[in-house]
Amino acid sequence: MQDVERFRKRAIYHHWWIVGCSFLLAVTGLFLFMETLSPGAWGGYSRLIHRIAGGCFVGGPILYFLLNPKSSLEWIREAFTWNRDDIGWLKAAPSYYFGGPEENMPPQDRSNTGQKLWMLVVIVTGLVFVVTGFLMWISGVSGIAIILHDIAFIVAGAMFLVHFSLAVFHPRMSEALRSMTTGKSSVHYAKSHHGKWYSRVMAGREQS
Amino acid sequence: MSKAILYDATKCTACRACQVACKNWNGLESEETTNWGSYENPKDLSTQTWLKMEFREVGNNGTLQWLFTRRACMHCTDAACVKVCPTGALYKRTDGFVAINKDKCTNCGYCIDACPFSIPKLDASRVSGLGDRITKCTACTTSGLNRIDNGYLPACVKTCPTGALAFGDRRTLVNTAQARVAELGGNARLYGKDELGGLHVLYILADAPEKYGLPADPKVPTYTTVWQNVLKPLGYGVAGVVGLGLLINIMVARARIISREEGN
Repeated sequence: MQDVERFRKRAIYHHWWIVGCSFLLAVTGLFLFMETLSPGAWGGYSRLIHRIAGGCFVGGPILYFLLNPKSSLEWIREAFTWNRDDIGWLKAAPSYYFGGPEENMPPQDRSNTGQKLWMLVVIVTGLVFVVTGFLMWISGVSGIAIILHDIAFIVAGAMFLVHFSLAVFHPRMSEALRSMTTGKSSVHYAKSHHGKWYSRVMAGREQS
Repeated sequence: MSKAILYDATKCTACRACQVACKNWNGLESEETTNWGSYENPKDLSTQTWLKMEFREVGNNGTLQWLFTRRACMHCTDAACVKVCPTGALYKRTDGFVAINKDKCTNCGYCIDACPFSIPKLDASRVSGLGDRITKCTACTTSGLNRIDNGYLPACVKTCPTGALAFGDRRTLVNTAQARVAELGGNARLYGKDELGGLHVLYILADAPEKYGLPADPKVPTYTTVWQNVLKPLGYGVAGVVGLGLLINIMVARARIISREEGN
Protein backbone atom coordinates (compact mmCIF):
# COMPACT_ATOMS: atom_id res chain seq x y z
CA MET A 1 0.00 0.00 0.00
CA GLN A 2 1.27 3.43 -0.92
CA ASP A 3 1.96 5.99 1.80
CA VAL A 4 1.93 9.75 1.85
CA GLU A 5 3.77 12.00 4.32
CA ARG A 6 1.35 13.64 6.74
CA PHE A 7 3.70 15.16 9.32
CA ARG A 8 7.35 16.03 9.40
CA LYS A 9 9.55 14.52 12.10
CA ARG A 10 10.00 17.83 13.92
CA ALA A 11 6.21 18.37 14.06
CA ILE A 12 5.83 14.90 15.55
CA TYR A 13 8.49 15.53 18.21
CA HIS A 14 6.82 18.84 18.98
CA HIS A 15 3.44 17.14 19.39
CA TRP A 16 4.76 14.53 21.81
CA TRP A 17 6.77 17.13 23.70
CA ILE A 18 3.53 19.02 24.36
CA VAL A 19 1.82 15.75 25.31
CA GLY A 20 4.50 14.98 27.88
CA CYS A 21 4.43 18.46 29.42
CA SER A 22 0.62 18.55 29.46
CA PHE A 23 0.45 15.16 31.14
CA LEU A 24 2.80 16.27 33.95
CA LEU A 25 0.97 19.59 34.27
CA ALA A 26 -2.45 17.94 34.41
CA VAL A 27 -1.44 15.35 37.00
CA THR A 28 0.38 17.78 39.29
CA GLY A 29 -2.45 20.28 38.85
CA LEU A 30 -5.15 17.74 39.68
CA PHE A 31 -3.60 17.32 43.14
CA LEU A 32 -5.08 20.73 43.93
CA PHE A 33 -8.39 20.06 42.19
CA MET A 34 -9.22 16.63 43.61
CA GLU A 35 -8.77 16.38 47.35
CA THR A 36 -8.58 12.57 47.19
CA LEU A 37 -5.47 12.81 45.01
CA SER A 38 -3.76 15.44 47.13
CA PRO A 39 -1.41 13.07 49.02
CA GLY A 40 0.30 12.66 45.63
CA ALA A 41 1.39 16.28 45.86
CA TRP A 42 4.15 14.90 48.06
CA GLY A 43 4.29 17.87 50.38
CA GLY A 44 4.68 20.40 47.60
CA TYR A 45 7.20 18.77 45.27
CA SER A 46 4.39 18.60 42.71
CA ARG A 47 4.62 22.40 42.62
CA LEU A 48 8.23 22.20 41.45
CA ILE A 49 7.35 19.62 38.79
CA HIS A 50 4.41 21.78 37.69
CA ARG A 51 6.72 24.77 37.24
CA ILE A 52 9.39 22.86 35.34
CA ALA A 53 6.76 21.26 33.10
CA GLY A 54 5.17 24.69 32.63
CA GLY A 55 8.49 26.11 31.50
CA CYS A 56 8.93 23.24 29.03
CA PHE A 57 5.34 23.71 27.86
CA VAL A 58 6.19 27.31 26.93
CA GLY A 59 9.74 26.65 25.77
CA GLY A 60 8.88 23.90 23.28
CA PRO A 61 6.56 25.94 21.06
CA ILE A 62 8.84 29.00 21.25
CA LEU A 63 11.79 26.93 20.06
CA TYR A 64 9.64 25.32 17.39
CA PHE A 65 8.46 28.72 16.22
CA LEU A 66 11.99 30.11 16.01
CA LEU A 67 13.14 27.11 13.97
CA ASN A 68 10.03 26.90 11.79
CA PRO A 69 8.39 30.33 11.71
CA LYS A 70 6.62 29.79 8.40
CA SER A 71 4.96 26.47 9.14
CA SER A 72 4.10 27.64 12.68
CA LEU A 73 2.25 30.65 11.37
CA GLU A 74 0.64 28.47 8.73
CA TRP A 75 -0.59 26.15 11.49
CA ILE A 76 -2.09 29.05 13.44
CA ARG A 77 -3.67 30.46 10.26
CA GLU A 78 -5.16 27.06 9.55
CA ALA A 79 -6.80 26.90 12.99
CA PHE A 80 -8.50 30.23 12.39
CA THR A 81 -9.54 29.57 8.77
CA TRP A 82 -13.12 28.35 8.61
CA ASN A 83 -15.43 28.09 5.59
CA ARG A 84 -18.65 26.47 4.38
CA ASP A 85 -17.17 22.98 4.44
CA ASP A 86 -16.60 23.36 8.15
CA ILE A 87 -20.27 24.09 8.73
CA GLY A 88 -21.07 21.04 6.61
CA TRP A 89 -18.65 18.96 8.65
CA LEU A 90 -20.21 20.06 11.94
CA LYS A 91 -23.65 19.07 10.64
CA ALA A 92 -22.55 15.70 9.30
CA ALA A 93 -20.04 14.75 12.00
CA PRO A 94 -22.40 13.40 14.72
CA SER A 95 -23.83 10.79 12.36
CA TYR A 96 -20.45 10.04 10.79
CA TYR A 97 -18.66 9.49 14.07
CA PHE A 98 -21.41 7.19 15.30
CA GLY A 99 -20.77 5.00 12.28
CA GLY A 100 -23.19 6.63 9.85
CA PRO A 101 -22.63 7.07 6.10
CA GLU A 102 -19.52 8.82 4.83
CA GLU A 103 -21.08 10.54 1.83
CA ASN A 104 -22.38 13.59 3.71
CA MET A 105 -18.93 14.60 4.97
CA PRO A 106 -17.54 17.55 3.01
CA PRO A 107 -13.94 17.16 1.80
CA GLN A 108 -11.45 18.27 4.45
CA ASP A 109 -8.16 20.11 4.40
CA ARG A 110 -4.95 18.99 6.09
CA SER A 111 -6.79 19.26 9.39
CA ASN A 112 -10.50 18.55 9.54
CA THR A 113 -12.95 20.82 11.33
CA GLY A 114 -12.79 18.89 14.56
CA GLN A 115 -9.01 18.97 14.55
CA LYS A 116 -9.12 22.72 13.91
CA LEU A 117 -11.49 23.13 16.83
CA TRP A 118 -9.01 21.26 18.99
CA MET A 119 -6.18 23.47 17.65
CA LEU A 120 -8.19 26.55 18.64
CA VAL A 121 -8.82 25.17 22.11
CA VAL A 122 -5.11 24.37 22.50
CA ILE A 123 -4.11 27.88 21.43
CA VAL A 124 -6.68 29.75 23.54
CA THR A 125 -6.51 27.64 26.71
CA GLY A 126 -2.73 27.39 26.31
CA LEU A 127 -2.50 31.18 26.43
CA VAL A 128 -4.86 31.36 29.44
CA PHE A 129 -2.84 28.67 31.25
CA VAL A 130 0.47 30.39 30.59
CA VAL A 131 -0.63 33.94 31.44
CA THR A 132 -2.55 33.08 34.64
CA GLY A 133 0.02 30.49 35.66
CA PHE A 134 2.90 32.87 35.20
CA LEU A 135 1.07 35.60 37.14
CA MET A 136 0.46 33.21 40.05
CA TRP A 137 4.09 32.18 39.94
CA ILE A 138 5.56 35.67 40.11
CA SER A 139 2.98 37.53 42.20
CA GLY A 140 1.26 34.83 44.26
CA VAL A 141 -2.08 33.12 44.04
CA SER A 142 -5.16 35.17 43.26
CA GLY A 143 -8.79 34.12 43.04
CA ILE A 144 -9.45 35.26 39.49
CA ALA A 145 -6.32 33.55 38.21
CA ILE A 146 -7.32 30.25 39.88
CA ILE A 147 -10.81 30.46 38.35
CA LEU A 148 -9.49 31.18 34.82
CA HIS A 149 -6.75 28.54 35.09
CA ASP A 150 -9.35 25.95 36.14
CA ILE A 151 -11.93 26.90 33.51
CA ALA A 152 -9.18 26.49 30.91
CA PHE A 153 -8.43 23.08 32.42
CA ILE A 154 -12.04 21.91 32.24
CA VAL A 155 -12.36 23.05 28.60
CA ALA A 156 -9.00 21.67 27.51
CA GLY A 157 -9.47 18.49 29.54
CA ALA A 158 -12.87 17.74 28.01
CA MET A 159 -11.55 18.36 24.50
CA PHE A 160 -8.50 16.25 25.24
CA LEU A 161 -10.73 13.29 26.16
CA VAL A 162 -12.43 13.64 22.77
CA HIS A 163 -9.07 13.97 20.97
CA PHE A 164 -7.66 10.94 22.78
CA SER A 165 -10.72 8.75 22.23
CA LEU A 166 -10.89 9.55 18.52
CA ALA A 167 -7.17 9.12 17.91
CA VAL A 168 -6.75 5.90 19.87
CA PHE A 169 -10.08 4.05 19.84
CA HIS A 170 -12.24 5.33 17.02
CA PRO A 171 -12.51 2.89 14.07
CA ARG A 172 -12.85 5.73 11.56
CA MET A 173 -9.67 7.48 12.70
CA SER A 174 -7.67 4.32 12.14
CA GLU A 175 -4.52 6.08 10.91
CA ALA A 176 -4.51 9.21 13.07
CA LEU A 177 -2.19 7.74 15.69
CA ARG A 178 0.01 6.14 13.03
CA SER A 179 0.47 9.44 11.22
CA MET A 180 1.45 11.15 14.48
CA THR A 181 4.06 8.47 15.24
CA THR A 182 5.52 7.53 11.85
CA GLY A 183 4.49 10.69 10.00
CA LYS A 184 2.82 8.67 7.25
CA SER A 185 -0.67 7.63 6.34
CA SER A 186 -1.99 5.54 3.47
CA VAL A 187 -3.00 7.28 0.28
CA HIS A 188 -6.47 5.86 0.76
CA TYR A 189 -6.77 7.38 4.23
CA ALA A 190 -5.42 10.76 3.11
CA LYS A 191 -7.85 10.85 0.16
CA SER A 192 -10.90 9.93 2.19
CA HIS A 193 -10.13 11.98 5.30
CA HIS A 194 -8.24 14.99 3.95
CA GLY A 195 -9.31 15.21 0.30
CA LYS A 196 -8.64 18.90 -0.25
CA TRP A 197 -5.18 18.68 1.22
CA TYR A 198 -4.36 15.48 -0.66
CA SER A 199 -5.26 16.91 -4.05
CA ARG A 200 -3.08 19.96 -3.36
CA VAL A 201 -0.16 17.75 -2.36
CA MET A 202 -0.61 15.68 -5.50
CA ALA A 203 -0.65 18.84 -7.61
CA GLY A 204 2.73 19.59 -6.03
CA ARG A 205 1.51 22.84 -4.59
CA GLU A 206 2.05 21.98 -0.97
CA GLN A 207 4.28 19.91 1.20
CA SER A 208 3.10 17.98 4.18
CA MET B 1 -18.55 22.58 72.90
CA SER B 2 -17.84 25.86 71.16
CA LYS B 3 -14.82 27.57 72.67
CA ALA B 4 -13.37 31.03 72.19
CA ILE B 5 -10.68 33.48 73.21
CA LEU B 6 -11.89 36.90 74.37
CA TYR B 7 -9.62 39.90 73.90
CA ASP B 8 -10.59 43.08 75.71
CA ALA B 9 -8.73 45.93 74.00
CA THR B 10 -9.79 48.29 76.79
CA LYS B 11 -7.88 46.26 79.37
CA CYS B 12 -4.83 45.69 77.19
CA THR B 13 -1.63 47.60 77.91
CA ALA B 14 0.17 46.17 74.87
CA CYS B 15 2.86 44.69 77.08
CA ARG B 16 3.32 42.02 74.40
CA ALA B 17 3.67 39.21 76.90
CA CYS B 18 1.23 37.23 74.73
CA GLN B 19 3.46 37.75 71.71
CA VAL B 20 6.42 36.39 73.64
CA ALA B 21 4.48 33.52 75.22
CA CYS B 22 3.24 32.43 71.80
CA LYS B 23 6.77 32.31 70.44
CA ASN B 24 7.99 30.59 73.56
CA TRP B 25 5.40 27.82 73.64
CA ASN B 26 5.45 27.17 69.88
CA GLY B 27 9.24 27.23 69.61
CA LEU B 28 9.29 30.14 67.16
CA GLU B 29 12.43 32.12 66.53
CA SER B 30 12.86 35.78 67.33
CA GLU B 31 13.15 38.07 64.36
CA GLU B 32 15.62 40.84 63.77
CA THR B 33 13.70 44.10 63.91
CA THR B 34 14.47 47.77 63.38
CA ASN B 35 13.15 50.87 65.12
CA TRP B 36 10.56 52.28 62.77
CA GLY B 37 9.03 54.73 65.20
CA SER B 38 6.69 52.39 67.01
CA TYR B 39 6.82 49.85 69.79
CA GLU B 40 5.18 47.54 67.29
CA ASN B 41 7.52 44.88 65.94
CA PRO B 42 7.94 42.94 63.77
CA LYS B 43 5.95 44.76 61.13
CA ASP B 44 3.83 41.83 60.08
CA LEU B 45 2.96 38.30 61.10
CA SER B 46 5.35 35.71 59.72
CA THR B 47 6.09 32.01 59.88
CA GLN B 48 7.93 32.79 63.13
CA THR B 49 5.38 35.25 64.54
CA TRP B 50 1.85 33.90 64.84
CA LEU B 51 0.60 36.59 67.20
CA LYS B 52 1.65 40.22 67.50
CA MET B 53 0.41 43.39 69.11
CA GLU B 54 -0.39 46.33 66.85
CA PHE B 55 -0.16 49.95 67.99
CA ARG B 56 -2.27 52.63 66.33
CA GLU B 57 -2.33 56.36 66.90
CA VAL B 58 -5.73 57.60 65.85
CA GLY B 59 -6.79 61.26 65.89
CA ASN B 60 -10.14 61.94 67.52
CA ASN B 61 -11.37 65.58 67.57
CA GLY B 62 -8.02 67.00 68.53
CA THR B 63 -7.21 64.27 71.02
CA LEU B 64 -5.15 61.22 70.33
CA GLN B 65 -6.27 57.64 70.83
CA TRP B 66 -3.53 55.08 71.26
CA LEU B 67 -5.23 51.85 70.27
CA PHE B 68 -3.87 48.34 70.71
CA THR B 69 -4.97 45.32 68.69
CA ARG B 70 -4.15 41.70 69.07
CA ARG B 71 -3.37 40.33 65.61
CA ALA B 72 -3.58 36.56 65.11
CA CYS B 73 -5.94 34.04 63.58
CA MET B 74 -9.58 34.94 64.29
CA HIS B 75 -10.74 31.29 64.04
CA CYS B 76 -13.82 32.11 61.94
CA THR B 77 -16.80 29.77 61.93
CA ASP B 78 -17.10 30.33 58.15
CA ALA B 79 -13.35 30.14 57.65
CA ALA B 80 -12.33 31.11 54.11
CA CYS B 81 -9.02 29.28 54.52
CA VAL B 82 -10.77 26.00 55.36
CA LYS B 83 -13.23 26.55 52.53
CA VAL B 84 -10.49 27.10 49.94
CA CYS B 85 -7.87 24.60 51.18
CA PRO B 86 -7.61 22.06 48.33
CA THR B 87 -6.03 19.30 50.41
CA GLY B 88 -7.96 19.47 53.69
CA ALA B 89 -4.82 20.53 55.55
CA LEU B 90 -6.73 23.37 57.22
CA TYR B 91 -9.73 22.11 59.14
CA LYS B 92 -12.29 23.14 61.74
CA ARG B 93 -12.15 21.48 65.12
CA THR B 94 -15.41 20.74 66.88
CA ASP B 95 -14.63 23.50 69.37
CA GLY B 96 -14.49 25.98 66.47
CA PHE B 97 -10.74 26.56 66.24
CA VAL B 98 -9.04 26.30 62.86
CA ALA B 99 -6.16 23.85 63.03
CA ILE B 100 -3.57 22.65 60.53
CA ASN B 101 -2.62 19.13 59.51
CA LYS B 102 0.84 19.93 58.19
CA ASP B 103 1.26 16.53 56.55
CA LYS B 104 -1.48 17.43 54.10
CA CYS B 105 -0.31 20.97 53.30
CA THR B 106 1.31 21.44 49.89
CA ASN B 107 2.28 25.14 50.22
CA CYS B 108 -0.21 26.13 47.52
CA GLY B 109 -0.92 29.45 49.24
CA TYR B 110 -4.63 29.54 48.40
CA CYS B 111 -5.45 30.31 52.06
CA ILE B 112 -3.15 33.33 52.05
CA ASP B 113 -5.20 34.90 49.29
CA ALA B 114 -8.56 33.85 50.74
CA CYS B 115 -8.15 34.96 54.38
CA PRO B 116 -10.00 38.28 54.97
CA PHE B 117 -7.61 39.05 57.85
CA SER B 118 -4.34 38.23 56.00
CA ILE B 119 -3.26 35.80 58.71
CA PRO B 120 -1.66 32.66 57.15
CA LYS B 121 2.02 32.94 56.27
CA LEU B 122 4.22 30.77 54.13
CA ASP B 123 7.98 30.59 53.88
CA ALA B 124 8.51 29.06 50.46
CA SER B 125 10.86 29.81 47.61
CA ARG B 126 9.27 32.06 45.02
CA VAL B 127 11.06 30.21 42.26
CA SER B 128 10.61 26.55 43.20
CA GLY B 129 7.56 26.75 45.45
CA LEU B 130 9.33 24.51 47.95
CA GLY B 131 9.57 25.41 51.61
CA ASP B 132 7.94 25.10 55.01
CA ARG B 133 4.25 24.47 55.45
CA ILE B 134 1.66 27.15 56.04
CA THR B 135 1.74 28.67 59.52
CA LYS B 136 -0.72 30.54 61.71
CA CYS B 137 -2.09 30.56 65.24
CA THR B 138 -3.86 27.27 65.94
CA ALA B 139 -5.15 28.38 69.36
CA CYS B 140 -2.48 26.10 70.86
CA THR B 141 -3.89 22.98 69.19
CA THR B 142 -0.77 22.26 67.12
CA SER B 143 0.02 18.57 67.20
CA GLY B 144 2.68 17.88 69.83
CA LEU B 145 2.14 21.33 71.36
CA ASN B 146 -1.53 20.89 72.11
CA ARG B 147 -2.43 22.80 75.28
CA ILE B 148 -6.20 22.95 74.75
CA ASP B 149 -6.84 19.21 74.57
CA ASN B 150 -4.66 18.71 77.64
CA GLY B 151 -6.73 21.10 79.71
CA TYR B 152 -4.41 24.10 79.65
CA LEU B 153 -5.17 27.66 78.60
CA PRO B 154 -3.71 28.94 75.31
CA ALA B 155 -0.22 30.30 75.99
CA CYS B 156 -1.24 33.91 75.26
CA VAL B 157 -4.23 33.76 77.64
CA LYS B 158 -2.21 32.06 80.35
CA THR B 159 0.43 34.77 80.35
CA CYS B 160 -1.76 37.87 80.04
CA PRO B 161 -1.11 39.97 83.20
CA THR B 162 -4.01 42.42 82.89
CA GLY B 163 -6.94 40.08 82.26
CA ALA B 164 -7.33 41.37 78.71
CA LEU B 165 -7.38 37.78 77.44
CA ALA B 166 -9.79 35.08 78.53
CA PHE B 167 -10.54 31.58 77.31
CA GLY B 168 -13.65 29.47 77.72
CA ASP B 169 -17.07 28.51 76.48
CA ARG B 170 -17.94 30.85 73.63
CA ARG B 171 -21.51 31.54 74.76
CA THR B 172 -20.38 32.48 78.26
CA LEU B 173 -17.68 34.76 76.83
CA VAL B 174 -20.19 36.51 74.56
CA ASN B 175 -22.34 37.24 77.62
CA THR B 176 -19.33 38.47 79.58
CA ALA B 177 -18.27 40.65 76.66
CA GLN B 178 -21.74 42.14 76.18
CA ALA B 179 -21.91 43.06 79.86
CA ARG B 180 -18.48 44.66 79.59
CA VAL B 181 -19.50 46.64 76.47
CA ALA B 182 -22.61 47.92 78.27
CA GLU B 183 -20.43 48.94 81.20
CA LEU B 184 -17.99 50.78 78.89
CA GLY B 185 -20.75 52.61 76.99
CA GLY B 186 -19.90 55.21 74.33
CA ASN B 187 -18.59 53.76 71.11
CA ALA B 188 -17.59 50.47 72.71
CA ARG B 189 -18.69 47.33 70.90
CA LEU B 190 -18.22 43.59 70.61
CA TYR B 191 -16.51 42.41 67.43
CA GLY B 192 -16.76 38.83 66.24
CA LYS B 193 -20.14 37.77 67.62
CA ASP B 194 -21.73 37.38 64.17
CA GLU B 195 -18.95 38.18 61.71
CA LEU B 196 -18.23 35.21 59.38
CA GLY B 197 -20.70 33.02 61.23
CA GLY B 198 -19.12 34.05 64.53
CA LEU B 199 -15.43 34.38 65.26
CA HIS B 200 -13.84 32.19 67.90
CA VAL B 201 -11.69 35.14 68.91
CA LEU B 202 -13.96 37.86 70.26
CA TYR B 203 -12.84 41.48 70.56
CA ILE B 204 -14.11 44.14 72.94
CA LEU B 205 -13.29 47.43 71.21
CA ALA B 206 -13.61 50.97 72.51
CA ASP B 207 -14.42 52.27 69.04
CA ALA B 208 -15.18 51.28 65.43
CA PRO B 209 -13.27 48.21 64.17
CA GLU B 210 -11.72 50.20 61.30
CA LYS B 211 -9.84 52.28 63.87
CA TYR B 212 -8.22 49.05 65.06
CA GLY B 213 -7.36 47.98 61.52
CA LEU B 214 -10.11 45.36 61.50
CA PRO B 215 -12.45 44.96 58.51
CA ALA B 216 -15.96 46.21 59.43
CA ASP B 217 -17.61 43.46 57.38
CA PRO B 218 -15.19 40.60 56.69
CA LYS B 219 -16.32 38.18 54.00
CA VAL B 220 -15.35 34.85 52.52
CA PRO B 221 -14.19 35.85 49.00
CA THR B 222 -16.83 35.00 46.38
CA TYR B 223 -14.37 33.15 44.17
CA THR B 224 -13.70 30.69 47.00
CA THR B 225 -17.33 29.57 46.97
CA VAL B 226 -17.48 29.66 43.16
CA TRP B 227 -14.36 27.51 42.92
CA GLN B 228 -15.42 24.90 45.49
CA ASN B 229 -19.19 24.77 44.92
CA VAL B 230 -19.53 25.55 41.20
CA LEU B 231 -16.33 25.02 39.27
CA LYS B 232 -15.21 21.75 40.87
CA PRO B 233 -18.61 20.00 40.56
CA LEU B 234 -18.80 21.36 37.00
CA GLY B 235 -15.42 19.83 36.25
CA TYR B 236 -16.47 16.41 37.56
CA GLY B 237 -19.77 16.69 35.67
CA VAL B 238 -18.11 17.61 32.37
CA ALA B 239 -15.57 14.81 32.74
CA GLY B 240 -18.32 12.30 33.51
CA VAL B 241 -20.63 13.33 30.67
CA VAL B 242 -17.83 13.54 28.09
CA GLY B 243 -16.29 10.25 29.24
CA LEU B 244 -19.60 8.40 29.14
CA GLY B 245 -20.50 9.93 25.79
CA LEU B 246 -17.20 8.82 24.28
CA LEU B 247 -17.59 5.31 25.64
CA ILE B 248 -21.00 5.01 24.00
CA ASN B 249 -19.64 6.61 20.84
CA ILE B 250 -16.83 4.11 20.46
CA MET B 251 -19.08 1.13 21.18
CA VAL B 252 -21.80 2.24 18.76
CA ALA B 253 -19.36 3.25 16.00
CA ARG B 254 -17.47 -0.05 16.22
CA ALA B 255 -20.63 -2.14 16.25
CA ARG B 256 -22.14 -0.34 13.25
CA ILE B 257 -18.98 -0.31 11.17
CA ILE B 258 -18.24 -3.96 11.88
CA SER B 259 -21.81 -5.01 11.06
CA ARG B 260 -21.64 -3.05 7.78
CA GLU B 261 -18.36 -4.75 6.86
CA GLU B 262 -19.93 -8.15 7.58
CA GLY B 263 -22.95 -7.14 5.47
CA ASN B 264 -20.62 -6.49 2.56
